[in-house]
Amino acid sequence: MIRSLVRLTSRKMQRELKKSSCDTIAPSVENTDRRNFLKELIASAIALAVQPVHAAQNQPSIRFLRPPGSLPEKEFASQCIHCGQCSAVCPNRCIRYFGLENGFASMDTPYIIPREKACILCMKCGDICPSGAIQPIKRALEPIISKVRMGKAVVDRQLCLSWQGKTCGVCYRACPLADVAIRVGLLEQPHVLDKCVGCGLCERSCIQLPQAIRIIPNYG
Amino acid sequence: MVFAMLIVLPYIYVYQTFLESHAYDLLADSEKQLYDIMETLTQPFVGSDPENELDAIKGTTWSGNFFGFMISDPLAGLGQFAAGLSMHQPLLLAILIPVLLTLLFGRFYCGWICPAIFLYELNTNIRMMLKRMGLRVGSKGISLNLKYYVLALGVLLSGFFGTVFFASIYPPAIIGRELFYAIALGGFSSGLVFFILTLLFDLLVARRGFCRYLCPGGALYSLLGRYRVLRIQRIVAECNDCAKCNAVCELGLDPLNDGFGQECNNCTACIAICPTDGLEFKFQIKDIAAQGPGHLGKKYLYPSAEDQAAQVE
Repeated sequence: MIRSLVRLTSRKMQRELKKSSCDTIAPSVENTDRRNFLKELIASAIALAVQPVHAAQNQPSIRFLRPPGSLPEKEFASQCIHCGQCSAVCPNRCIRYFGLENGFASMDTPYIIPREKACILCMKCGDICPSGAIQPIKRALEPIISKVRMGKAVVDRQLCLSWQGKTCGVCYRACPLADVAIRVGLLEQPHVLDKCVGCGLCERSCIQLPQAIRIIPNYG
Repeated sequence: MVFAMLIVLPYIYVYQTFLESHAYDLLADSEKQLYDIMETLTQPFVGSDPENELDAIKGTTWSGNFFGFMISDPLAGLGQFAAGLSMHQPLLLAILIPVLLTLLFGRFYCGWICPAIFLYELNTNIRMMLKRMGLRVGSKGISLNLKYYVLALGVLLSGFFGTVFFASIYPPAIIGRELFYAIALGGFSSGLVFFILTLLFDLLVARRGFCRYLCPGGALYSLLGRYRVLRIQRIVAECNDCAKCNAVCELGLDPLNDGFGQECNNCTACIAICPTDGLEFKFQIKDIAAQGPGHLGKKYLYPSAEDQAAQVE
């Protein structure tokens, strides 16, 4: 973006120089040059205008989770009507709302910061969502495992107490899908399995600072 | 009343979370107070399981859940359609009830349900006070059609941004959301800034200017209510041309010349103020065409032969 602007300005300066040094430039050349310049200027202006809008989809400003059952990020932004009901039913008070910090498209849309307060997979938000941005999912093991895709937990073995030889196992005990989404081995060393839905309760409960297990969000 | 409900609902939500934590003794004193108040308030309505039964009423006027019925603003449906070119089926059902009611009763939402109206009317009173103090307040007349362009622009921007743009420029949605944020989550969001700007617009540019000239929801409701069944009509035989109805009309319409049109929200302010009971509700699909001046004005403009004779004498 910035590079193209720099290129544009430098080209403009070159042209000015040329103009001042010799007056033999054919008018047609000059015209196409100007047209290209205008074209690129308009294109870059549009790109500049659109960029912050799609910031949420490409490069979120913070690591956040969408509520369980949410659509992929782009569809979510177009479906959510910003009504605030998902937070109004959340018994755990974990759903909160963006201001303008994550781009205009995700203003007033729900998010969860797992380290502060994690989802307890009660599935009430999907039931109440009027817009279909959060799909209703039945509160049972099978549908939750197959449909909820908030993210996936990743263990940092350098930080994890169990992997450093001090028996801990707190994440395993916090997990609502214990033995399905996470399994412990020798010395209660956690192994995250494929069926992890990314509710974030392990990250919430990790006793290390900073947390040794964290959710890598799945926005796709 | 709607406004009071919007204040109570977040408190009910906070109370529910207190209930769910099952730890009354650990609450702070202010929280205990809130708990007690909400308990006495909700006791008559709930049975043995308050923390789940209180889920029966949720949400705001933008989109709410009312004893299992989902009701949404038609503007939400339009915005979602514009943003994603598809509409969620339940949302379609949710906007059906308001759409049908609007088809029957016109723009009644604006006068009777919109929670922002309460604040806008307070703002009108402030405006009157300022006027009495001798300050200049704006009272420009802009074209009433401007709000349709705002609606069209909102649809375009929804499509462009890929998000329901109306939610951030529509005062009822903002009010419901901000009250919830303020009470249940703590803190305000950027919507409040926009709302304050609209209040200032009303003070500095035109009386009730946002509702009259800019509100996209009002525009949508006006379009839907164009062929409404219930209308206010002027009885020309009773009217004495005092023009109080024009002065009192919040939406800047022209009842004196039968100019109700699609934008009347049946708020009954003109009926209430009319000194000769010259306005009434009628079930009719179209406004009657301009009926000319009322009985006093008629006497003045087109005097009959006897009146002329009386005047001459």
